Amino acid sequence: MLPGKNSEERKPVDEVEIKLNINGNVTQVKTEASTTLLYMLRDDLGLTGTKDGCSSGDCGACVVMVDNKPVNSCMMLAPQAEGTTVITVEGLEKDDELHPLQRAFGETWAFQCGFCTPGMLISCYALLETNDDPSREEILTAIAGNFCRCTGYQGVVNAVQRAAAELRTKNEDTEKTDV
Amino acid sequence: MSDLAIVGKWTAAPGAREIVTGQARYCPDIQLPGMACGKLLYSPYARARIVKLNVSAARKLPGVFAVITHEDIPGENSYLYAEPDQPLLAVDEVRFQGDAVAAVAAIDARAADAALAAIRVEYEELPGIFNPLEAMQPTADQVLKGHDNVMMSQVYRTGDVDAAIESADIVIENTYRTQWAEHAYLEVEGGVGLVDHDGGITVYSSCQAPHRDRMQIARALGMSESMVRVITPYIGGAFGAKDEAHVQIHAGLLAHAAQRPVHLIRERRESILTHVKRHPMIIDYTTAATKEGQLLAVKARVIADGGPYSNSTHEVVNKCGEFIGGPYNVENLEVEKIAVRTNNPICGAFRGFGAPQAAFVYESQMDDLAHKLNIDPLQIRLLNGVETGTKMYTGVVVREASGMKESLNKAAKLIDWEKRDEIERNPKPHLRRGFGMATILKGAGLGRGLNDHAGVVLEMHRDGSVVLKSAAADMGQGIITVMAQLAAERLGIDIASIRVARADTEKAPDAGASCASRQVMVSGNAVLEAADSIRDTLLGLAVRKTKISKDRLDLRAGHLVVDGKPHEMTVKDLALRAGVWGYPLHAESISHFEYPTDVPEVTYRYSTEVFQFCTHIAQVLVDCETGQVTVEKLVAVHDVGKMINPGGVYGQIEGGIAQGIGYALTEELIVQNGLTKNPSLENYIIPMAFDIPELEMEVIEFPEPVGAPLGAKGIAEAPIIPPAPAIRNAIYDALGKPLYQLPMTPERILPVVNLDD
Repeated sequence: MLPGKNSEERKPVDEVEIKLNINGNVTQVKTEASTTLLYMLRDDLGLTGTKDGCSSGDCGACVVMVDNKPVNSCMMLAPQAEGTTVITVEGLEKDDELHPLQRAFGETWAFQCGFCTPGMLISCYALLETNDDPSREEILTAIAGNFCRCTGYQGVVNAVQRAAAELRTKNEDTEKTDV
Repeated sequence: MSDLAIVGKWTAAPGAREIVTGQARYCPDIQLPGMACGKLLYSPYARARIVKLNVSAARKLPGVFAVITHEDIPGENSYLYAEPDQPLLAVDEVRFQGDAVAAVAAIDARAADAALAAIRVEYEELPGIFNPLEAMQPTADQVLKGHDNVMMSQVYRTGDVDAAIESADIVIENTYRTQWAEHAYLEVEGGVGLVDHDGGITVYSSCQAPHRDRMQIARALGMSESMVRVITPYIGGAFGAKDEAHVQIHAGLLAHAAQRPVHLIRERRESILTHVKRHPMIIDYTTAATKEGQLLAVKARVIADGGPYSNSTHEVVNKCGEFIGGPYNVENLEVEKIAVRTNNPICGAFRGFGAPQAAFVYESQMDDLAHKLNIDPLQIRLLNGVETGTKMYTGVVVREASGMKESLNKAAKLIDWEKRDEIERNPKPHLRRGFGMATILKGAGLGRGLNDHAGVVLEMHRDGSVVLKSAAADMGQGIITVMAQLAAERLGIDIASIRVARADTEKAPDAGASCASRQVMVSGNAVLEAADSIRDTLLGLAVRKTKISKDRLDLRAGHLVVDGKPHEMTVKDLALRAGVWGYPLHAESISHFEYPTDVPEVTYRYSTEVFQFCTHIAQVLVDCETGQVTVEKLVAVHDVGKMINPGGVYGQIEGGIAQGIGYALTEELIVQNGLTKNPSLENYIIPMAFDIPELEMEVIEFPEPVGAPLGAKGIAEAPIIPPAPAIRNAIYDALGKPLYQLPMTPERILPVVNLDD
């Protein structure tokens, strides 16, 4: 512990019970009232895909979707997530099939160490939910809060555009089938 | 073998699926039954005497399993990168803000925090030594009692520098200053210690050198190395700061003391305050040249502030001196290398080992010279650049240097250097545009005379699948992919058939540290040798079965190949045959970095002899009202010898450029009287998505003739080196004013701006 950080004597902990939808599953979880959403996911639910890079909202490694919006889960208390729908990196894969974004991230080397990837993926996933053909500018805006120290951001732009193109083709095919 | 099937082709990394699904386990993600939370108590002072240290109250708290101080360390209380001068836990004095004093293991983070708060430390603050120039004086108080504050002082000379300066048409002399820089990998330092069934200790470590970690953990525990095992899980970046050990030794000590698994992960603030930084340096530099721009001599004095302990300071400062003349033909060179102890942050390895500081200086000098002589910056570099066969100022004869001038020419072409004056230089009254280049070299490998080897174990099973065991740490730089590609290439199989075990000291021989851009060469060669041994066995079996001579056979795309055409027999068939007939498909190989002996004497100690050459050219826009610099464009051309993994190579280049832009413009740890004022990612400003321009990157390949797998010579360090001088030279071009200090923040730019220019 470094000077400046508050320390607390050991005392009984206020526990709360939270109900929310995580990656499509309605989940009930008991956690400390002061826990962040990040640590509820990691410690109480074992969803360690979401990373802690700074615990101060500066790096974006912990970004998850909460009710369709990307948020830094280190900046949100677990009780604030009551009744919400949360998507984490573990929820992107469907029926053992990677989301096109996930595949594109691997193919374009949009990461090296991979520690920023879960947050980066969710920020990009959130973008594609509302924009099926994002420009470079729009992608950079979407990941403006996600910090990557290994690779920079060009690979991410390439990956998102590749995934967006794939999703558009898929949707066109679906529309054709529907007709 | 004919053309390559896998090497040089884009392929997803073997661990990509784990990473994109969140299944990849890094140290913070490891959960073990009964695992305790470990924490360290760090010094709040830059320098203080420990008057009293009492942990008895902390030990009595509920939920606390262990509290240890220096008295509880069973073995040696020191780190050992090179010299054992840094205690693991402070004894009688703390010497920088971040010296560890005590360690605790408790049932959870709350209990661990309570234990830290209950440790009673009485400090007597002492006047610290913060100015390296004062610390150097013989009368200065010793930072570390019994040790000279000057921990390194060497002079290297070649030729007759003073005579050359005397005879020169032009002499340029400047003093440069660089800053403390922070690695800021996304995964902070961490380790998990646990006790094995026989009392041995296993540590999961976020590190670059698993075998060196094992030695250090064993040494601290007073155990034999055979009782200690180090495993690296996924690692979230390192860039040099995880070369020397950090908390993994303490994780082992705590697990041993608590007799249970201990999870010890630093917080971000702790990380920034405690791990090594890039050395701030003061470099006096004199360049002498003819009026045509031919370099005659370089004279430099490097003073590096290493903080209180040596860590890898010797290595960093030695490398700074090794490259101080740049990729140029300099016959007369003198460099004085001084490293000083202070009570400032501890410094050590950071991508490039002192080469970025050297390059900032020699490339700035090159442009100062070009400006003064009115010579084009490209031409003056081409005029002086080393060539294949050039005997450098270090005594090294460069075996392949084509990449030096080729990277310059290619980069100039990419940005249309000749036509840069046609671009609007003054788009608005307060905006100035400029172009600047930098070309550099960085050696790969540790250097001649140093122990530089790596081993691997390769096994093919009877179903044709392969396990590759290596103790080379992959921190993201991609050595696992490279090794898998090389093995797959030689065995004629696809990468998916190869499982690469993450580094584990009990599975694989020592591969040394993942540093100095060395693993592609040393581990790469070991993989080729091991794969060739298995390939030989497979082909031998094929000869027996087909009665076709071996020179007509090959393995490719999963098949035996005869005269270039796929045979019906597959690699799997051959593997099964080997299994059934008792031919073990198992190979172990240890490869040593190759230094030929039939060369002239290399006079610079521990010189490297394989060079990464590259050129970057930056286009910047300076806002003269705010002092803000925007990098509008950056082109980068890198010679990698032979590109094995394009995804990794481009990733390394782009990431290096991003770090280099940060080093040039924004990144600076602000330290006042030894105390760091900005230990957070909020205040230590790192380039984000909008700060990196669209990059043009090009890879060129001039295969390294000696000791390089397929000619590949590494890429990791080079990309971070040229951005700072390239951007500095572009700002000079834009404003007509040179800068001599990093980072080039608005505060440093505004004073030199004159809108009337």
